[in-house]
Amino acid sequence: MGLQPPRRFQTAKAGNRPEECEDASRISYPYTAGPARIALCDGASESAFAREWAQILTRAFVYSPFDLSGLDDLALGLWLGQREAEWNRVVPWERIPWHGEAKTRAGALATLLGMTISQTPDPSGACPWQAVAVGDCCLFVVRDGALALSFPMEDSGQFNSTPALICSNHTNNGRLWNGVYQYQGECLPGDAIILASDALACWILQERESGGRPWETLLSLDSEKEWSGWVAGKRDERAMRNDDTTLITVKVK
Amino acid sequence: MPYTADISRANPACFLFLIDQSGSMTQALAGQPGQRKMDQAADAINRVLDTISQRCSQGMDIRDYFHIGVIGYNTDGRGNPLITSALPGTTPEQPFMLISQVVDVAEVEERQVKESDGAGGLVDVMRRFPVWLRPHAEYGTPMCGAFDVAAQALAEWVGQHPDSFPSIVINVSDGAASDGDPEGPARRIAALQTGDGNALLFNVHLSDSTAMPIQYPDGEERLPQDDYALTMFRMSSPLPESSRSQAASLDLPVTENSRGYVFNADMTALVQFLDIGTRAASNLQ
Repeated sequence: MGLQPPRRFQTAKAGNRPEECEDASRISYPYTAGPARIALCDGASESAFAREWAQILTRAFVYSPFDLSGLDDLALGLWLGQREAEWNRVVPWERIPWHGEAKTRAGALATLLGMTISQTPDPSGACPWQAVAVGDCCLFVVRDGALALSFPMEDSGQFNSTPALICSNHTNNGRLWNGVYQYQGECLPGDAIILASDALACWILQERESGGRPWETLLSLDSEKEWSGWVAGKRDERAMRNDDTTLITVKVK
Repeated sequence: MPYTADISRANPACFLFLIDQSGSMTQALAGQPGQRKMDQAADAINRVLDTISQRCSQGMDIRDYFHIGVIGYNTDGRGNPLITSALPGTTPEQPFMLISQVVDVAEVEERQVKESDGAGGLVDVMRRFPVWLRPHAEYGTPMCGAFDVAAQALAEWVGQHPDSFPSIVINVSDGAASDGDPEGPARRIAALQTGDGNALLFNVHLSDSTAMPIQYPDGEERLPQDDYALTMFRMSSPLPESSRSQAASLDLPVTENSRGYVFNADMTALVQFLDIGTRAASNLQ
């Protein structure tokens, strides 16, 4: 048992340039037996320097991770303190124009979905995984052709423009812990794991609620061209919100 | 569903501000002897333009989610209407600028303000404030004429942006039109449609009445004692469902019959009612 190399597709909101995409993702996939780490963040478009913040959070989740087993308010706060310092170093504080001043002082905002998957099966043959989520990037597990898990959102009605967000200014994270969700699961051979940023996650749940099997389409996408054509089509049909959109899939063999 | 069009650079929305600059705006606001209606009107416009600019700011850059126009209206001493466009290089017939251009033409003033020091105290800090409009007021109130000019400019904008979020017009006045009943011209503005719905006309009513400030009332029985409140309320569009849910997330009490009308109250929230992307919920911070 093991993981196939994760696949990632990303498209910026229509009308924005690719370098303006505020979704960020990082994947660490050791070809040996170490754990795979995947992080997906959606920078909040109404905050300043959100793209930079999303990139800092995903990079740190993968390369300077916190312990998901013993995660508590204090441990998360300490980890975020280091990230806040990194963000403060990349912000050009001396050159910020008046319109960006208050917003930058208030801090950048982003959601976070992080997942660690062990590649060492337990005695029953399953590989344990752990996930943490703040906000509306979602994780789905497909087993035996059906959706076995949707985390942290479970239905499409839960999506709105004010999800829980992590701020790069700690004074605005006072109630952050209320928005932190954790999950521990196991994956089996044949499972597929899907991570999706909010617009795509909402579409997946809407499709499922109307009896569809949206994961089949997503797991069969084979190229950037196929992906970008599919996203453009769904946006044109107004089936999926025009937003930065990221898909990461992992198949368990 | 109407009022759900994506607001983006590819599909921008527009705000047209109409500001009463007539002589009656020199009167003091109720309960604020040093503050004239015209000071409050200019301050309201400057604050709301600041808020829109900040909403479009990414820190260093501005994203052009909005086109902005600001039209002032009064008359000369003989009663001839003076309808002028306040943003440099624009005309009342073509009043719109991109928000990134609006940001560039602001006069930026430094002011000392008190802010929380994070430990329960206050500290003096210097902050930058943008100014677009200075207080100005004399003679008559050609509100009907201003609405007609606005309707023409908006018709052209709507023709160029048929799929955009419907135009938003915010009229700041004490309500005393001197050129007739403005309800008809107001209906002509509200009749302008994009594929996403009818234009929205909101009214910010500044008054010397001592009645309590009111925001987004949902019926005539809730209106203050003021000669013009009923007309201003009737001219105001109902808040669309999408805006009501944004208002609720900002902890503003609105019902399904609430209208875009405020009486001696802050209107900055009106521009927060539009969804242009992910933001912090007020109840999480």
